[in-house]
Amino acid sequence: MVSSAITKQTLQIQRITQGAHHMTGQEQDFDLIHRMASGDENAVRELYAAYGQRLYAYALRLTNDPAAAEDVTQDTLVTAWRTAPSFRGEGRLIAWLLGIVHHSAMKTLRHMSLPLDAVEKTISEANASPEEQSQVGEMKRWVQQGLQSLSTEHRAVLELVFYQGLSPNEVAEVCKCPLGTVKSRLSYARQHLRGVLSRNEENWR
Amino acid sequence: MNHEEQVVLYAAGQLSKNERAPFEEHLAGCLECQADLRLWQMIADEITASDSAVPAPVPLAERALEQIHRPASLQAGFRRAWQLLQIQSQIIQREMWPASAGVMALGAIVALVADHIEVIYFIAPLVAAASLAILFNPEYDPALELTLSTPTSPWKVLLARLSIVSGYNLLLALAATFALLAIVPPSLLGTLILGWLGPMTFLSALALLLSLWMGTSNAIAIAYSLWLVQYIPYKLVVGWMVSPSWASVLVTYQRFWQSPVLLLSLSFLLFGLALWFANRPVFRLAQETA
Repeated sequence: MVSSAITKQTLQIQRITQGAHHMTGQEQDFDLIHRMASGDENAVRELYAAYGQRLYAYALRLTNDPAAAEDVTQDTLVTAWRTAPSFRGEGRLIAWLLGIVHHSAMKTLRHMSLPLDAVEKTISEANASPEEQSQVGEMKRWVQQGLQSLSTEHRAVLELVFYQGLSPNEVAEVCKCPLGTVKSRLSYARQHLRGVLSRNEENWR
Repeated sequence: MNHEEQVVLYAAGQLSKNERAPFEEHLAGCLECQADLRLWQMIADEITASDSAVPAPVPLAERALEQIHRPASLQAGFRRAWQLLQIQSQIIQREMWPASAGVMALGAIVALVADHIEVIYFIAPLVAAASLAILFNPEYDPALELTLSTPTSPWKVLLARLSIVSGYNLLLALAATFALLAIVPPSLLGTLILGWLGPMTFLSALALLLSLWMGTSNAIAIAYSLWLVQYIPYKLVVGWMVSPSWASVLVTYQRFWQSPVLLLSLSFLLFGLALWFANRPVFRLAQETA
């Protein structure tokens, strides 16, 4: 009785929202995942149009390698397609997708097994063109340096919180780690960047 | 939530309305939090600026769809099979390797010393049956339980383990047979191999199927009894049994163990049954609850 009343109500709400051609983000997500589960290939294109940039950006931050990031993003779309029927809608779609990116990127990193120093060098060389350096303020460069010298795990948490807009709980879900670890990584990042900034300020003065 | 954690969420715009006002009140009077906020805002700006400048590669959705359409290639299938074999060979119960080799070596030594090649006929099926009876039992083997929690289907796991252990048993028996060439002429090699191949394959297939059905120890007990019955001396049976027809049953039974073609065909049937059995709900259940 109760459940049927609820379904009726949700159906009504759906009808109203669909009738008004106005879907909220959450409804659009459910629509996408539902269409993917039922084999609609256009849903993959729409999913990529909606979230591709964010997924690729996160994959790139984790792998530091454009080709590997492309592979990770592509794998994520394929995995999302194959596992769409099992998506239970308990969390946000973007958190689910980023979780797949995270898992796939970590697997790729294990196979690449690049020495971390080499990775960081390539970024700083790529990012610090002379013109850019003169344009950006000293502080900004120090923050950049500080972020680059963080480990991938710490950087990942910052990416998820500040660029992807995930809550600490969602970050924990993406990284498959306890909430306490997310908090301690944030705290460590703060400590680390404070250290970098104060060292540089001393040198500068 | 302490203030250090709140500053992060505030900078990320993630504090709820109810949390925001009291935090801002605190922030106005706390230099530490103000400094933190400046730091986090710089970090947020830097990350947002560099990430939003990353262009998403255009054709990725199409490439993903291509990959979705592409059927799993034969090569990928072989690669997965090889990986499965590698992984399973590492986690099969370790005691099995030296135990089988030890018993088989003992059999070969006894055969050589006693100058009786029949010892190998007797030993090889027993070794193989025991090793296959412990092959697929979550109770005895924690690694199996773990394997079953992965997406690989139980029958594939069983097939991988079956191939590894049967190959190993075959090698052991072949090695023992070659050792026997010290006391028999090389022309008898084929006969020697045919002598144990059929019974070994059949008895181990039977033990495997029984172990899936009624557990490892029952399987070993039944398989060993069936094997040993044929060694009951003819005279003993005639002495025991009133009717001579029992003796003829024993003769037929002994002949059954000496027909390699029949034994091998029946073995494949039993192996097939065992693989089908491994996919039963019991093992599936282990897969889901693990």
